[in-house]
Amino acid sequence: MAALRVADLYGLFTNRRLRSAGVKNLTTRPALAPCTLALAAALIAACGGGGGSRSLIQNKGSDTLVNVAQAWAEEYAALRPGTAVAVTGGGSGTGIAAMINGTVDIANSSRKMKDSEIELARGNGNEPIEFVVGYDALAVYLHPDNPIDEVSLEQLAALYGEGGDVDTWSQYGVEVPGCGSDEIVRVSRQNNSGTYVYFREAVLGERRDFRLGSRDMHGSKDVVDLVENTPCAIGYSGFAYATDHVKMPCVRKAEDGDCVSPSVDSAIDGSYPIARPLFMYTSGQPEGAIRDYIDWVLSDEGQCIIYEKGYAPRGDVDCS
Amino acid sequence: MFEATAQNRRNRKVEGLFRLLFLWMTCMLILPVALILGVLIVRGGPAISWEFLFTQPMNNMTAGGILPALVGTVWLVVVALIASVPVGVAAALYLSEYAPDNRLTRAINLAIINLAGVPSIVHALFGLGAFVIFFRFGTSVLAASLTLAVMTLPVVIVATRESLQTVPLAFREACWNMGATRWQTIRKIVLPNSISGILTGVILEVSRTSGETAPIMFTGAAFFLPFLPQGVLDQTMAMSLHLFVISTQVPDVPEHMPFGVALVLISMVLAMNGISIAFRVYLRGRKKW
Repeated sequence: MAALRVADLYGLFTNRRLRSAGVKNLTTRPALAPCTLALAAALIAACGGGGGSRSLIQNKGSDTLVNVAQAWAEEYAALRPGTAVAVTGGGSGTGIAAMINGTVDIANSSRKMKDSEIELARGNGNEPIEFVVGYDALAVYLHPDNPIDEVSLEQLAALYGEGGDVDTWSQYGVEVPGCGSDEIVRVSRQNNSGTYVYFREAVLGERRDFRLGSRDMHGSKDVVDLVENTPCAIGYSGFAYATDHVKMPCVRKAEDGDCVSPSVDSAIDGSYPIARPLFMYTSGQPEGAIRDYIDWVLSDEGQCIIYEKGYAPRGDVDCS
Repeated sequence: MFEATAQNRRNRKVEGLFRLLFLWMTCMLILPVALILGVLIVRGGPAISWEFLFTQPMNNMTAGGILPALVGTVWLVVVALIASVPVGVAAALYLSEYAPDNRLTRAINLAIINLAGVPSIVHALFGLGAFVIFFRFGTSVLAASLTLAVMTLPVVIVATRESLQTVPLAFREACWNMGATRWQTIRKIVLPNSISGILTGVILEVSRTSGETAPIMFTGAAFFLPFLPQGVLDQTMAMSLHLFVISTQVPDVPEHMPFGVALVLISMVLAMNGISIAFRVYLRGRKKW
């Protein structure tokens, strides 16, 4: 309705102008669209303004870290209104590529930068500095009806690895209620995810590839969601993503070793076999606002946030 | 003498069958639209509130509102329009009013058709390489909007050109015979009579721009940003990416939230389209032929 009225006014205006010029016009004139746009732009600019000066930190990378990074950014915005942290996900590879190209202030990664990547970054004048900001324990997820309580790395490798020969739950000697086909649904991640790369390293070994035929999900949460709803499924994902509706078996490093449950404690003390450090990379020694932010992330306050999100902090912190 | 023969009756029966079949197919078309809208309204409706629209996200984006994403999407759409409409309309004017039918023109036409067929993720990577890195705009509203503009340019050009060509040639000839130049003719006759078609192009662009996720993911949209963009060189949140993020990346998002975001996004597009369509209907009503 409002638009019609605006158009009315516009039509009247042009009509009068043209009539006075002695021209019999056929219709109205164009050129309204650009005006409206300029007006709209001015309007939102006015709405968005009023923030004063602030420093902006670009933080990009790992999907595993993205939720913690978001929680840090949210908390920090409340604490220091003068600094804003823009968080973007996309995967560790995305963050590292941005670090190499110099389009990011802090890159999040759930794996160490490779030497070749560090070389590339140096070639562009960016010297990556590494900070360990916490630890991630990958949990193996099962449907709650699944009777299995413990798995070994060897079993996981036989299931996920190339050349593996385990396809059915009965090969593990169990019958899973609700899984009529007996066939194991292997849930995995897309191959640019840090979780995928780390699982391969820790479980299959550097050289061994994943076997084809797994369901590759595009987010840590998707893995858990799928397993939650699929009795036949087994999956792996960060243990921060656990819900009450999935089961996490304990994991054995060697067939005769202890079976360790995924927990913050077992990740810190290194007894849990699939836990890894999480990194932030800055370009050169951080200064100013970036330095302050990193320091805060590593402080007890920042470390308690990563702890609350289900990851393990770098050391002992008291978060009670 | 005029009694229907068996052949007549059979024809009529087949006719009726095909009519039903086509009607059925048309209804099938409406079905998904109705379902999408219905589901969104029923499941997302409860999420919509003043607070949802006008506050910052809270508690890891599982509570609070979507203000930065809402404002961000408006920014992206407006800047993309400012960048693409003048270029698109000018290009269409050249192709329709000036260009001779030669090899260059045919090559340009081919390029436009191909540009329209490029997948959005390829545009995203192009935008990353060109605007973010080469032109050093960084990940910003500007880089994202320009990427969107490049992506939607063919839509604007094709819609504009088609609408320019609906203006009868007699109108132009009458004008030229009065001694008017090409540009005078375009300004006084061609553009005023084709504005409704040009607006259609803009409508299509707005719909497409506000929903695109891939092209802005690498070039300007953030997962989370605790402030509203204050200029074109700021990064921004956007509705489409926010929807993707809270449905796939963030744990423990209440179920109504993604539906609410989708509902707001669709309502926004429908509202913008509605305004343009009303405007267009009004302008078309003023046509004198």
